[in-house]
Amino acid sequence: MRGTMVDTEQIGDGVVIRPRFDPVARPFESLTDDQWHEAWERPVLDTVAALQQAHREGVRRIVVVVPVTSMSGGSQYVHVAAPAEAIRVLVKSAARQWGAAGVTVNAVAIAPARVLDDPGAAGPVSIAPAPLDSADPAAVIGFLCSEAAGDITGQTVTVDGGAWM
Amino acid sequence: MSSLEGRTAIVTGAGQGVGEGIARTLAARGANVVIAARRAETGEPIAASIRDGGGVAVCIPTDVTRRADVEACVESAVDRFGALEIVVHNAFSGAAPHRLEELDLDRHWTPMSRTGVWAVLYCGQAAWPHLRAAGSRGRFVLVTSPSGIEGSVNIPLYSAVKAAERGIAKSLAREWGPSGVTVNCLAPVAASPALAGAFAGNPGLRAAIEARTPLGRVGDPVHDVGTVAAFLAGDDSGYVTGQTIVCDGGSFVGL
Repeated sequence: MRGTMVDTEQIGDGVVIRPRFDPVARPFESLTDDQWHEAWERPVLDTVAALQQAHREGVRRIVVVVPVTSMSGGSQYVHVAAPAEAIRVLVKSAARQWGAAGVTVNAVAIAPARVLDDPGAAGPVSIAPAPLDSADPAAVIGFLCSEAAGDITGQTVTVDGGAWM
Repeated sequence: MSSLEGRTAIVTGAGQGVGEGIARTLAARGANVVIAARRAETGEPIAASIRDGGGVAVCIPTDVTRRADVEACVESAVDRFGALEIVVHNAFSGAAPHRLEELDLDRHWTPMSRTGVWAVLYCGQAAWPHLRAAGSRGRFVLVTSPSGIEGSVNIPLYSAVKAAERGIAKSLAREWGPSGVTVNCLAPVAASPALAGAFAGNPGLRAAIEARTPLGRVGDPVHDVGTVAAFLAGDDSGYVTGQTIVCDGGSFVGL
């Protein structure tokens, strides 16, 4: 049995869900059904399972991490943008369904360089004052996992040094 | 509005609703239209109706969840009309209300994933050699939904699948841009059998939708949605790619 395509971590009162994406640039016309299954179905469904588990366990702060490629798109990264954007919008739907119970669900969009092999193909052009892979999302994730973030839900916070606006 | 005279367009899910409206509008603008409907019983009457009105249309029964079907549809279209410039992927099925914590994946996920995302893979890959040959006349249009942008409290996985289509469009716009081919999304709210069914099951739904829509009505598949699809399919949109045009009477006005 293959392992999950999602890593989870408890931070404070919250749970951080990090789906794993295929980091290799692949021309769209070269994608096989097997590659598409691995790249599209598994990260999305495993994220759904992680969200369900967090809900069952009564977690009140859920943060899901995706690459900015979800919003920007990326040449030769259709197989990443599709699941990443699906997951990013899934966060909004989960926030809508579980908000009345006091559960917040947010997304953090991180620099493609932290996820993909060829971030140059992934869309955004850097205007950051430092290398893109130095944009560390930990502080933002920590805040979204805190009680202080209780009025923030269904949002995407981009932490990429300003590469994509 | 530019003419589509002589161009060939495949419209999936064109046997009813939004797809039918798009097909009728493209045909009225001069395109040779392939009605790619799952069942000939629904697709052929649409094609015949277009022909009766002086347009050019054929029905090629196509199950978009089957790669071989999609490839055969594309090849048949090219054999018949000599080229393929436009593909509109509209076919979709399976949206049913659900809670995230109580999912039946066979019911709530697989049909939508297959018709909404796998079909984009099949349509895009089969059409790509012909769209590339069409160069700056090549168009790939994906019919998504406003809920693919804002999420949904009632049908979360539907929103996810529709969001994925937007991610695909943005990426393909970058990937195919150097060839001149554009890739865009259209996010409509319009009359369709699915929406009619929802209205039948929820008597207050129509009034609720109209109340939250600045233009105060549900869109018409031909006059409100088909016209926007024709814009995305024609020369007037040649410098527009990677975008989503929300066509919902102003209901969704966010980013």
